[in-house]
Amino acid sequence: MNNNKPGRTRRPVALYSALMALFSLMLALPMAPQAWAGGSEPAAKVVNPGTELWREVRQREAPRAGVTQVAGMDSGVLINIRGEQWRQFRMEQLIPAAGVLIGGVLGLIVFFHLLKRGVRLEHGRSGNYLLRFKEIDRILHWYVATVFIFLALTGLILLTGRVVLIPVFGHEVFSVIASASKEGHNLFGPLFLLGVIGLLIRFVSKNFPGKGDLGWLLTAGGFLGGKHPSAGFFNAGEKIWFWLVIFIGLTISATGLILEFPFFGQDRPMMELSLVLHGVGAVLLVAGLFGHIYVGTAGMEASLESMTSGYVDVNWARQHHDQWAEVCEAEGAVIAGEDLAKKQRLRGTKNRVPDRPVAEEGR
Amino acid sequence: MARMKFLCDAERCIECNACVTACKNENDVPWGVNRRRVVTINDGSPGERSMSVACMHCSDAPCEAVCPVDCFYTTDDGVVLHDKDTCIGCGYCFYACPFGAPQFPTAGAFGSRGKMDKCTFCAGGPEADNSAEEHRKYGSNRLAEGKLPLCAEMCATRALLAGDGDTVSDIFRERVTWRGSSGLTWGWGVAYSKPGLRRGRDVEGRATGKD
Amino acid sequence: MITAFIEGPLWYFALVVFLIGVAWRLFAIARIGSKPDLSVPRRSAAVSGFMTSLRRFLPRREMGSRIRLHVLAGYMFHLGLFALLLFAAPHVLFLQEHLLGFGWTPMPYWAFIVTSQIAFAGLLLLWLHRVLNPVTRLISDADDHVAAVLTFVVMLTGCLALMEAFTGLRVLHRFTVELLMIYFPFSRLMHAFTFIPSRAYTGALFGRRGVDA
Repeated sequence: MNNNKPGRTRRPVALYSALMALFSLMLALPMAPQAWAGGSEPAAKVVNPGTELWREVRQREAPRAGVTQVAGMDSGVLINIRGEQWRQFRMEQLIPAAGVLIGGVLGLIVFFHLLKRGVRLEHGRSGNYLLRFKEIDRILHWYVATVFIFLALTGLILLTGRVVLIPVFGHEVFSVIASASKEGHNLFGPLFLLGVIGLLIRFVSKNFPGKGDLGWLLTAGGFLGGKHPSAGFFNAGEKIWFWLVIFIGLTISATGLILEFPFFGQDRPMMELSLVLHGVGAVLLVAGLFGHIYVGTAGMEASLESMTSGYVDVNWARQHHDQWAEVCEAEGAVIAGEDLAKKQRLRGTKNRVPDRPVAEEGR
Repeated sequence: MARMKFLCDAERCIECNACVTACKNENDVPWGVNRRRVVTINDGSPGERSMSVACMHCSDAPCEAVCPVDCFYTTDDGVVLHDKDTCIGCGYCFYACPFGAPQFPTAGAFGSRGKMDKCTFCAGGPEADNSAEEHRKYGSNRLAEGKLPLCAEMCATRALLAGDGDTVSDIFRERVTWRGSSGLTWGWGVAYSKPGLRRGRDVEGRATGKD
Repeated sequence: MITAFIEGPLWYFALVVFLIGVAWRLFAIARIGSKPDLSVPRRSAAVSGFMTSLRRFLPRREMGSRIRLHVLAGYMFHLGLFALLLFAAPHVLFLQEHLLGFGWTPMPYWAFIVTSQIAFAGLLLLWLHRVLNPVTRLISDADDHVAAVLTFVVMLTGCLALMEAFTGLRVLHRFTVELLMIYFPFSRLMHAFTFIPSRAYTGALFGRRGVDA
């Protein structure tokens, strides 16, 4: 280039080029890290000053959190490792386990019923009755039953819907179902808690361990060993179910409240733990519920009427809860069948007015 | 195909929050929702580091895996997006996300959340590209215009890089090489203490006396 | 299509049936009139009628503990329902847009949720009582059960649509509301409008004769 300009001295191109090359080479030296550090110490021995800091940020227990302009729970936490742990538990363990457990229990019940065809009344009906559950107890029981079934249904939709229902309904329709389930589940949750507390108050006195419980358990309610074991107002199996409902029900309710009211400083690990306990407890209760429903209906003859009409046949009481039947009969609490039958018809009749006594003594 | 990723160089981030502001402005993000945030560790002490974090668009996204209504999808570019019409606001994606990317407008009492909102890599959502509906719900769709996310474009120090993963890591690798033998020759370890290029220093920046 | 029908013609039909039906029933009751009472009044009829209307909000002492659950559940349901209907934010907005043209300050959202929980619990307990108590079971007919279940379904569909983000759920709630409105004038639900006149009439009639009714 220099050569083309008129009236200028020709510069020594070769010299300049060589100097440029040497200069460039010197500049390039920093690009070779190995050559720079005095030759003797390899660079890997020098610790990056941020190493310890980033390790603390990433660690599982109490990761180092920072500050941020964004106000929110946990917004200073850069990496939440537990989230992935929870996600794996929910998707890869809880959901399949729920399917297996619930399906398994249902299958077991069907198998059991086909095998034993339910427990019949040994001596048939006597036609005389005992009052087993007062009205308040029955109202409370069916209240809890209704609310729980609604919660179980909506909860299972939220838990397993992605796997079971999206293939059936598609994404759009299922999101409507899921939104409805979530709102319904959240609203009815506290109602379940009230019901459980009510059950606790009304039935706890009858559910303490008592005479005959151990024997009942050892013979599995008479299943092993032929003879029907002795039992009080509630047998050991019923007592176990009661305490399961109370403890698991209270756990589910407590975790539900933690999840529904996240304004008391709950961080993500606490919410994730609550979700785990909530889900596991709920699945267990649902599985147990199928057994409870079976025993109360097809599994034992003449059981359901205890919770609908409140009265049970004396033979039923003698067969299944002999200690309690004994006490009642001693008190003279047996009600004759004809009087009861008139009042306890499960269907309404056409005449609204209950039967009046016939005027005999000339009024 | 490109696989879109973010990378934030903590040795360059000066916590200016330009990325946060750019994102909120470009995407018309409502109050209370923050798609991107800058977290500062050891704020005020020697050894302070800042990092800008939003959705990392994971290749195997946990949010996508856990969603009960399966409203997430990954585009061909590797961008993780979701459908707000399907979202039921349950919050599970927030629990599963390691980075806390999903955000929720506080819609009602009892912690009930509205539709989830998060960083979209400025790639919009399932609606038609650059439609008014898409902008209203998801913010701008720069990717469809051939542009990169605005947070990275606005970064004052080019700490936040966004784009194809291979390209981004090439840029970062070049930086690391250019910085020299270790983090002690460049960056925060040097900035707040006497420069001694070959002196060994601990994380607080104090000289250890070893050469 | 269905949405347009439910939010259009069916809504107007339900509104007309409800308003004209209620007016017709009330008019029919008023038209019956009463025989002139020729006895000497012991007390003011109007005052007695008014007092009885208020007094009957609480049960008679003779009922004792037997009626306590019923009264509690009844108030839970009714008070919760009125609070919901008149002061829940989505309802206030609806009334403002579709019926009245003006609105008022609604409840905070948490109060909306709590009142609806109370109303649900009350209604469920009431209906269970109706079914499980032998007397009420005997004297209840289809009308009673349909009214209870329909009201519950209306509240339930409202609860399911709480996120206010899905048209299908909102329309389902609207639809059940319209069913209830059409059913209302032909059923026991008319007690909502007749209970005050009924109490007042009985109170006036007996009070005039000097009897607290």
